[in-house]
Amino acid sequence: MSKTVLIVDDEEDALAIATLGLQMKTDWVLLQAGSGQQALDVSAEKVPDLILLDMMMPDMDGKATLAALKANPKTQSIAVILMTAKQEPLTQTGVDPEQVVTVFTKPFRPLSLADEIRTVLGW
Amino acid sequence: MPDPSSSSFSLMSASAPSPQTVQKKAVRADILVIDDTPENLHLLSTLLNERNYKVRSVTKGVTGIRGAIAAPPDLILLDINMPEMNGYEVCEQLKANESTCDIPVIFISALGDVLDKVRAFNVGGVDFITKPFQIEEVLARIRTHLTLRRLQLEQQAQNLRLQQEISDRRRAEETFEKSFLASPSPIAITTLRDYRFLAVNPSFMRLTGYAKAAILDRTTADLKLWPEPALYQSAISQLAQGTRCESQELECRTQKGEYRTVLISLERITLHGESCVLNIINDITERKRIENEFISVVSHELRTPMHSMVGALDLLSTGELGELSEQGAQILSVATTNAERLIRLVNDILDLERLKSGETRLNRTHCNIEDLFAQTVDAMRAMADEADVTLHVQAVSVPVFVDCDRILQTLTNLLSNAIKFSLPGGTILLTAALEPDDILHIRVIDQGRGIPPDRLESIFERFQQVDASDARKKGGTGLGLAICRKILKQHNGSIWAESAVGEGSTFHVRLPVE
Repeated sequence: MSKTVLIVDDEEDALAIATLGLQMKTDWVLLQAGSGQQALDVSAEKVPDLILLDMMMPDMDGKATLAALKANPKTQSIAVILMTAKQEPLTQTGVDPEQVVTVFTKPFRPLSLADEIRTVLGW
Repeated sequence: MPDPSSSSFSLMSASAPSPQTVQKKAVRADILVIDDTPENLHLLSTLLNERNYKVRSVTKGVTGIRGAIAAPPDLILLDINMPEMNGYEVCEQLKANESTCDIPVIFISALGDVLDKVRAFNVGGVDFITKPFQIEEVLARIRTHLTLRRLQLEQQAQNLRLQQEISDRRRAEETFEKSFLASPSPIAITTLRDYRFLAVNPSFMRLTGYAKAAILDRTTADLKLWPEPALYQSAISQLAQGTRCESQELECRTQKGEYRTVLISLERITLHGESCVLNIINDITERKRIENEFISVVSHELRTPMHSMVGALDLLSTGELGELSEQGAQILSVATTNAERLIRLVNDILDLERLKSGETRLNRTHCNIEDLFAQTVDAMRAMADEADVTLHVQAVSVPVFVDCDRILQTLTNLLSNAIKFSLPGGTILLTAALEPDDILHIRVIDQGRGIPPDRLESIFERFQQVDASDARKKGGTGLGLAICRKILKQHNGSIWAESAVGEGSTFHVRLPVE
C-alpha cells in the first residue's frame, strides 16, 4: 500500500519544491500543511505514515507542533522527520531526539529526498 | 629738619673705597648701623667700608626703622642704649614689620651697660657685640650672621622652588592619576622583561574580573591572561623594532575563565629605570558578538531562498517538467553549479562563525586515524581520479579521542586543496606519525604549484587564497583553511604549511591524540 507523507512548511516555495521532488520520485500520497496548527488537523484526520516538519515557523514552530503531535494518542505514533535551515545539534533546540527519526538540514536536494527518507525509515 | 639717614648716606658715599676692595667686583652686604653716638657710627662706618660693606648709619631708632623699611639692609647693628627709643624697642618694631622682620639684628652694648641678654634674644636679636669693639670679633660676628642670613635666604628660595615643584608634580600626578583611574579603556603597565603587572586601572580590573591585589606583581603568564601568549609576544616584538603596536586583536581570559576579544595597543615606557609596556585595551567582544550574530542571521536568511532555488533547478533539470534544448540544459547546469557554490559558501561562513564564537563544542569519540584516512581517501577518490592525481596513503594505526567528523572535515579539506592545486599526473602523499608527547603529526604533501613564502601564513585567514581568482576557478570558498585552523585550535593542535614554489606544498597538522 502506498505511503502517505505530510509535508509541513510555512514557506510556500519550499513546500512546493519538496512536494514536487517526492512526486517525481515516488507514488506516495502527499499532503501539505502551511502551519503547525494545520499540520495537527491534517494528521489527526488522515494519520499519515510520515510527517516532514519544518522547525522554523511563525506562531507554532516545529518543536511545539511536535510536542502537540506526541501528546495526541491519534498522532503520537506517526514518524516525524524535522527539517531545519539552522545547523545546530538537536540537543540545542530542546527537542527530544527520541521523538524524531532524524533531522534534514536545508538546503536538501528534492530529488534525493525520497531516497533519504527510504533509507532512514527502511521503506 | 634734616633727615639723618640722608646725611648718613652722604657720609657713606663720601668715604672712598679702599684700593684692595676695588679689586673685588661684588659689592658686599648692605649694613644699617643705628647708634646715637656719632663716634661709634664713624668708627663702624669706616671699619665696614674698608671691608667694602655698604654702610648706612643713623643716630635715631625711628629713622633707622624707616630706612630699614624703605630699603631693607642685609644686617642691622643696633645700639641698645639710646634716648627716645631704646634698642629693644627698635628691634621689636623691626620684628613686627613684615619687610624687616627677617633681617638679623646684632645689638651693640657699652661695657658699662647692663645688657639684658635674655631680653635681647627675646625681642629677636641674633647676637651682641660690646664696646669697645674687638674689630676682628665684630667682623667675624657680622660675617657669621650674614652667612647665616644668606643661607637662610637660599634655603627659603630653595623651599619655594621645591614647593613649586611639588605642586607642579602633584598637579601632573593628579592629571595622570585621574585620567588613568577614569579611563574607560582598560590600561595596564607591565614590565617588559616578564610582563609583570605594575599598575592597572579600574577598567582593567572590570574587564579581567581580578581585584587589584590579585593582579599586581603577577605576570600575564601567572594569570594565564593571554590564552595565546605567542600572539601577545608578536605584538611585543613589534615594539622592539621601534614601531608601536596598535590595535592587535587578541583573546583575553578573565578571572572567571571567560574569553573576551580585545584590541590591544602597546607603547614602551621607562618607569623607575625599568623598561615597561603600557597596555591599552579595547574590549570588542560585544562588537564581535553583534558581528557574528549578524553573519549568522544573514546566512540563515540566505539559506531559505537558496533552498528553494537549488531545489527548483534540480527539478527543472530532470526534464520531467518539459524537455530543455541542449543550450537550455547547459544554462541550467551553470545556474545549478553556482547555486551549489553559494550554498557551500554560506555553509562555510556559518561553520566558521560557529567555530569562532565557540558555539560548537567538540564531540570527541574514540576512532583510529587509519580509519579516518581511509574515509578521507574514499571521499576524495572521485575528485582525484577526475583530476588525474594519484593518492598515496602511509597510515599508521593510532587510536585517537577527537571530534572525528571535524578531523575528517579537516583532512578532506586539505586533500581537496592538494588535488585542486596538483597538475594532472601528480601524486599526493598523506602520512601520519606518532611523535613524543602523544602528538600525531599528519602531513599532506603535494607536487603542485606551491605557495609563495609571504602567503604561507595568510592563507589560513578568511578569503586569503594565494590567487584571488582561485576561489572561482577552483570552486572553493576561501574559508576551508580558516575552518581547519579553528578545528585544530579547538583540539589544542596546530596547522601550518611549508612550500617551495613550483615544487609543491606540505601541510602539517599536529594533533594531540586526546
